[in-house]
Formats: sequence, structure tokens, C-alpha cells
Amino acid sequence: MTLHRVAVTGLGVVAPLGNSIEELFSNLVAGHSGIRVLPSSVSEGLRSKIGAPADFDGQVHFQVPRLRMLDRVSQLALIGAARAIADARISFEDERGARCGVFVGCGMGGAGATDSGYHTLYAGRSDRVEPYTVLAAMTNAPASWIGIEYALSGPNLTYSTACSSSAVALGEAARRIRSGDIDVAVAGGAEAPLTFGVLRAWEAMRTLATQDPKNPSASCRPFARSRSGLVLGEGAAFVILETWEHAIARNATVHAELTGYGLATDMAHITRPTAEGQANAMRAALVSAGVHADSIDYINAHGTATLQNDAVETAAIKEVFGARAYRLPVSSTKSMHGHLLGAAGALEFVICVEALRRGTVPPTMHLDSPDVSCDLDYVSEGARTGILLRAVMSNSFAFGGTNAVLIAATAS
Amino acid sequence: MSTLEAVQEILIKEFSLNPVQLVPNAELTSLGIDSLDVLEFMFKVEDRFGLKIKEDIPTTLVTLNDVVVYIDELVLKQSRDAPSQASHVS
Repeated sequence: MTLHRVAVTGLGVVAPLGNSIEELFSNLVAGHSGIRVLPSSVSEGLRSKIGAPADFDGQVHFQVPRLRMLDRVSQLALIGAARAIADARISFEDERGARCGVFVGCGMGGAGATDSGYHTLYAGRSDRVEPYTVLAAMTNAPASWIGIEYALSGPNLTYSTACSSSAVALGEAARRIRSGDIDVAVAGGAEAPLTFGVLRAWEAMRTLATQDPKNPSASCRPFARSRSGLVLGEGAAFVILETWEHAIARNATVHAELTGYGLATDMAHITRPTAEGQANAMRAALVSAGVHADSIDYINAHGTATLQNDAVETAAIKEVFGARAYRLPVSSTKSMHGHLLGAAGALEFVICVEALRRGTVPPTMHLDSPDVSCDLDYVSEGARTGILLRAVMSNSFAFGGTNAVLIAATAS
Repeated sequence: MSTLEAVQEILIKEFSLNPVQLVPNAELTSLGIDSLDVLEFMFKVEDRFGLKIKEDIPTTLVTLNDVVVYIDELVLKQSRDAPSQASHVS
């Protein structure tokens, strides 16, 4: 079987800190944070009233009655995918729909529709649940809407592996491109968890960051001694993946090559990560890319800023990279854009591709005093520019234990 | 405002339909209103006419005029059953 190289030809985001990859990346390089105090309508009564919202108004893009069928998560997905498609300059009218697939990661589905339906039932004591509730809330709605919008009749798949969902979606899409099952994939992730119900549920798990009283935007501090947890964010990030031949044949700009995808699962506990599982996923990605660990020049860490993850991830990186781990830039951009859960892997992969293209490593912000167990080079002094990056790694680890790692290399 | 005008107003506002399409014999399906949209539409009708639609919506509602007749009958029936609660179209 001929294996095809996987070209990344389109990038699209709707994210905290940016409605384009250029805007997002510039903000990350500048160390700006998209974390802020949320409106009282969703944060009243929460201990930490912070989140990382996207600057996005669905009413600008969609009209009634369609708007009623689209939870915010599907709105974000449709626009994120549209931006990736526009960036790739691909017209699906010229493609055979059955050779094109949609691969989406989503953790919580239409959380707003679920929240609102329950509110109607239990708080409102009303039986007037919106007839679209199931369609808006189902986890595969974002992928389905994208398939319908562009008449893509190949595989239409949704992956829900919590925080690694969209890294899995990109990886599984890449496998199908690599094998030649399909020519083109619209792959990404979307999440819209900034509802009161979801925020309260995450708060109940004691994993959310304590709000910094002086500077709420600095509340997420990956690898820091003072880290206290993650900050939820919303958005969507999409890529267009194609077989190398297909991209070249239509004269597309290849932003990068998706070379590696590794999966490994923690078997210890539903939330507790293991260095072994994370390291195995990184190793599997290196094997899949056919490269040695020495060829990785930057890691975009999972780096959630939870006590458990950051120490375990640091240990896992050391396990895989040995002494070189200390000379390898590792940053958590979640310190600025928050944790987009099911969209996190795709967003951070897009950031990795942009890092490759620009030769710039984005920083880990708000890391004044590292934890003793976190002793790598976290790029805490600010972005580094003018660096030759050959290949970069994006880590995504998840509750439930599905660890997914992607590798992108310079297009050549 | 007549019942037809009120129904037209809902369809223009809530379903982004063009007023010229909304003639009495226009069929709901040709307006792009599917079975789920009908349920959503009936929520708006309940609010607009002060009705409570408890029973299943009849499948015989094909045209706008069918809807108007159905609403008028329901308004009449519910105003008879509970005169103080039902409100007519203003």
C-alpha cells in the first residue's frame, strides 16, 4: 500500500485572542491573555468568575430559523471550518464529495442547548423544551453541519475523548489521508463550555484556577509553583489536510506536513495522568513520524496548570527526550487562550504550524516562580523569534486517559 | 390584526421568510417549515395568542390558511372553557 504524505493546506480559528491565525499568533507572541471575568449571567455564584471567551456573535453569521438549530458549538465549528477552507483556497465543488471527510473533536457537545433545556424543565417547571434540543446538543452536530454545508459525503466522524478530542480527530483524519482512503479532510475541534451549568460542574471538580484578585487575566499559570488549575475557554480550530499529491496538483500552499500521530492510554484512574501513558504517546508519535526525538525543536505542552498534569507531563517529556529535554523549548499557550477542552488539540496544533512557519516559539505566561518538579525550559521570559524549527510536537492529554500527540514538520 | 396577519408576522420574524411568500394557500413545506419547525412555530403561536396547545398538532395543517383556521378554533374553544384566561388577538 502506498502511504501518502499529509499536507496541511488550510488553517482556521475562532478563538480567544483571535478570529484569524495571524491575530491569534500575534497576541500569543505578545503575551496577551484572553482570560477575563465573564458576564454575571454565566458567572454569578461561581468562586472563579473567569473564562476565555471568543469574540464571536453567531447572529452575525447565521439567521433564524437556522440559528435556533445551531448550538454555539456548531456555530463556532462552521465558521472555524469555513476559515480553514478559505485559507486552503479549496472549492469542494471541484472535488468528489465521497473522497472528502470531516473529522471533529468535541468534548461537551451543545452544552448551551443542554443547559437551557434543563433550565426550562427543572427551574422553569415548563414542558416547553425546544424541539431542536437533541439536534443542537448532540456531540456530532458540529461535524454533521460541516458535512452538510459543503456536501462532503465521505466519512463524517466525531471524536469525544475529553481534552484530547480534536488531537485525535486530526490524527485519525491524517491516518485516512496517509492510507489514501480519502483525498481531503476538514479536521478540527469545537467547544462552547462557557455556560453556568458547565462552569459550575468543572468548579465542583476543583480543577479550575483560582481567580487572581489583582489581575484575572493572569490566573492560569502552567508549571508555576502558584498554579491552581485550568481556565475554560471556547472556540474552534480547523485544518485542511490533503494527500501531498492532491495539494500539489491543485497548486495549494502547503503550510506544513503532519508527520506524526501517537496514541497511548493511561490505565490508572479516570482523571489522574501517568508519565508512562504520556511518554508512550509521545514515543508513538515519533515512531509514526519516523523521526528521532532529537529532531523535535519545540513542544506545545498540554500544560493545563493543574497540579497533577504539569509535573507529570514534565516527567514524561524527560523520559522521552532525556538530557535534551532541558534544552528543548516547551510552552503552554493555555496560559493565554485557556483550555478549550475538545477544541484544545486542534487549536494548539494550528499554533504549532504557525510557530513552524514563523520560526517563533510562543511563551508560557505568568510563570514567575516554577514548581520544583517543573524544571524544563518553558519559554517564560517571552516569545523567541528567529529560531529554525524543523519539527514541532503538540501534546494533548485527557480525563479518561486518552493521550494524543501530533507532530508537524516544515513543508519541504 | 387578523389571525393571518399575526401568523405572517411570526413567520417573517422567527423564520426569516419573505412576506410575499406568505399567501393563505402557501404550503408550510414549500416555505421550508419542517415538522420540528412547526413545533417551534406553535410555541410562538401559544405566546402570541395566549393559547395552550396540549394535544398533538394535527397533521392536516398543510397551508397557512389551515393554520389560521386551527388557531381560530382553538382560541374560540379555550375562551369558552376559561373565558378569563384566553386572550384574543389585539
